Amino acid sequence: MTPNNGIMSGKEAFMQRIASRLGRSNPMQTAPEKPVRGVPEHYRDRILSAEERLDTFISNWTALSGKVLIVDEATAAETIGQYLLQVCADHGITRAARWEHDALNGLELDAALQRGGIESLVWREGGDAGLQRRELPTGPEGNWSKRIGLLQAAEQCRLGIVWPDCVIANTGTLALFSQGGKGRSVSLLTEVLFSVFRADQIVTRMGEAFELFKSRYPEAVVMPSSLNLITGPSRSADIENDLTIGIHGPGSVYAVIIQ
Amino acid sequence: MGDGGQKVLEPKKAHSTGDTGSGHTGHEPETSPIGSGLKKRTKEALKDDFLRKAVAFTTDKLRGGRLKAADEFGDWETWRERGRAIRQHTISHLDYYLGQFADNVVKNGGNVHFCHNGDDAVSTFMDIAGRHRAKLVAKGKSMVSEEIHLNHHLEEQGIDAIETDLGEYILQLARETPSHLIIPAIHKNKRQIADLFEADAGRPFEPDTKTLANYAKQKLRNYFLEADIGLTGCNFGVAESGSITLVSNEGNGRMVSTLPKVHVVIMGMERLVPTFEDLEVVLNLLARSATGQKLTTYTSILTGAKRPEDLDGPEELHVIILDNGRSEQLGDPIFQDVLNCIRCAACLNVCPVYRNVGGHTYGSVYSGPIGAVLTPLLQQDMKEAGTLAYASSLCGACYEACPVKIPLHDMLVHLRHRKVKMKLTALPERIAFKVYQTMFGSVTLFKLATKSAYYLQKPLARNGFIKSGPPPLSGWTQSRFMPMLPKQSFRDKWAALQAELAAKPRNGAPAVGGDAKAKGGGGHDAE
Ligand code: SF4
Repeated sequence: MTPNNGIMSGKEAFMQRIASRLGRSNPMQTAPEKPVRGVPEHYRDRILSAEERLDTFISNWTALSGKVLIVDEATAAETIGQYLLQVCADHGITRAARWEHDALNGLELDAALQRGGIESLVWREGGDAGLQRRELPTGPEGNWSKRIGLLQAAEQCRLGIVWPDCVIANTGTLALFSQGGKGRSVSLLTEVLFSVFRADQIVTRMGEAFELFKSRYPEAVVMPSSLNLITGPSRSADIENDLTIGIHGPGSVYAVIIQ
Repeated sequence: MGDGGQKVLEPKKAHSTGDTGSGHTGHEPETSPIGSGLKKRTKEALKDDFLRKAVAFTTDKLRGGRLKAADEFGDWETWRERGRAIRQHTISHLDYYLGQFADNVVKNGGNVHFCHNGDDAVSTFMDIAGRHRAKLVAKGKSMVSEEIHLNHHLEEQGIDAIETDLGEYILQLARETPSHLIIPAIHKNKRQIADLFEADAGRPFEPDTKTLANYAKQKLRNYFLEADIGLTGCNFGVAESGSITLVSNEGNGRMVSTLPKVHVVIMGMERLVPTFEDLEVVLNLLARSATGQKLTTYTSILTGAKRPEDLDGPEELHVIILDNGRSEQLGDPIFQDVLNCIRCAACLNVCPVYRNVGGHTYGSVYSGPIGAVLTPLLQQDMKEAGTLAYASSLCGACYEACPVKIPLHDMLVHLRHRKVKMKLTALPERIAFKVYQTMFGSVTLFKLATKSAYYLQKPLARNGFIKSGPPPLSGWTQSRFMPMLPKQSFRDKWAALQAELAAKPRNGAPAVGGDAKAKGGGGHDAE
């Protein structure tokens, strides 16, 4: 759906001033000739094999304290279900949120969570229906109490499950095109980020992730409102240079790769 | 969540004890104006041992990280040149790219407000806040909002603005401004942070990183949830899509741009790249130059407010685009390139002056070499702010470190030159240069001066060094020793050397024995 246009104010005088400072009588209307574009060619043309991309991602992701599990396509659902329960047990997690996503649906993770006595929330309208209400962290009044139940419930999930749209090997990054069932909050409000993807989704560098994004949404007006690149756990060095993990976003990050 | 059983949210106004009378941001560290206060702030910084060690340690770490990352990346010079070319192209066609960017934001349902100066931007923000009856604003890191003293104005209106970057939050409690672009609370130690949290919570805190971080995390979490408006800066706008790019390591940028119903972006008008392809370049340069990371933990590229099919994200997006003195640099053959800056802070980390005195000494939002150049230009004030151009050793380390090759050291020289031309330098300095001119114009006077300088310095020196001299020498000796001038000047030595060379026989053998005495007695020692 195309959004309605927003409002613009003060543009004309502002642009006129810029144009005249740059020695033009009016603001330039046609795209200028660009002498350079994007990354240096030697970097852009570097081609990694599928295996190298996998290895590079793993080494970068684990260097950032991320965990990796590689599973076989044939037994993926079962193995991932078990691993998920293991991770939940390690972190004492009783409630998890996940994207509404075809590939994730196919893995039947809700059933696995249920077996482990873990409540699950699916990021769709009413996805919180079966969940027991808990007290809000900010009390019964104020803004937060007026937000949708799904958002409130997601805030109380301590693990989030996502399926990245692609994965960048040379920086160790998950690229999430957040839109609709692929809620931003699932990878943001939780303490543990559990991502699942296929090995063939790994690209070499950031520019390829951008290309994929632009080819899927060639017009800006249909772009997801948020493209998130996540490179390891949330971190801060603000208190006397001590590295603090998980300050606002997830502190533990998992990557499950289906081969 | 629910640490400490704290349920009721009480956004804490930064301690509103008696105002310092600075009439500024509401958390101003001191009151003296930029230029005339520079000396005082320098002295204070030089006395603060913790600050100096912490700044040196941290900047070393960041500098080391940058060098390692650049090394691993390979061919750093090609990258720098690419970064420079992209930024320069964007800035010299800013009318096109800014127009394209704004049109796209609006097409995506966002609202764009062009603001000529800080007051326009503040009143635009106040309008938005008023329409939403906002009481609480959660702020991501935003230098531009510091630049326009937004917090102070919000406080006046009874609106709480909470800084959500951990370092900024600490500074807000301390009512101080940032002293580094990337690590704003670089100068605070754990005990000081624990004291601030104690005053905030009314209970004691151990000066332990985990305990302190947990407290801040819990407090800030509630602010994220309750805020009416999320306010952020913008690292890079992407012209071809009208997207806003935000980077943060903590994730606070994501929080404030996702949870509150209204997201307001305040950005300097120059923070653009034409395309996603160019964004790849600057994101790589920024992360590696700032902290030595391959990529900052979170990079959010936000295009419009939430779409109808989305269940989270802000319902309204406003982009405030600010000039505030920036357009003055456009078309200026010397200073236009300062707008290429990507705010990575690499120049701070290598600057010998910044490393010795830290950020507050500069008395402005932007510190270090980039601050010394940017502040007088943005404020169009050569007299006060222009004095910052002297807070530099002109060693050029900043240029070497800059990922987009801004010749900061050249710009500093040009600023000094401007100041001189405008006759804005201090009287003693002007007298000094007059004297200098006269001395250098006369051989006799020059000889006399070098001789007398040697004898004048004698009472001050110990073991060949002057450790604490009277003014104006004290400006130098308060942070380092001054080597004594030698008894024999180079000119005197030169004469002796000439004589010796003339006496040298053709076959190259030493004329007289080759011992030091024969060379005129002076040798190479300082005395
Ligand atoms: S001037 Fe260069 S080094 Fe300094 S902050 Fe800007 S981009 Fe970074």
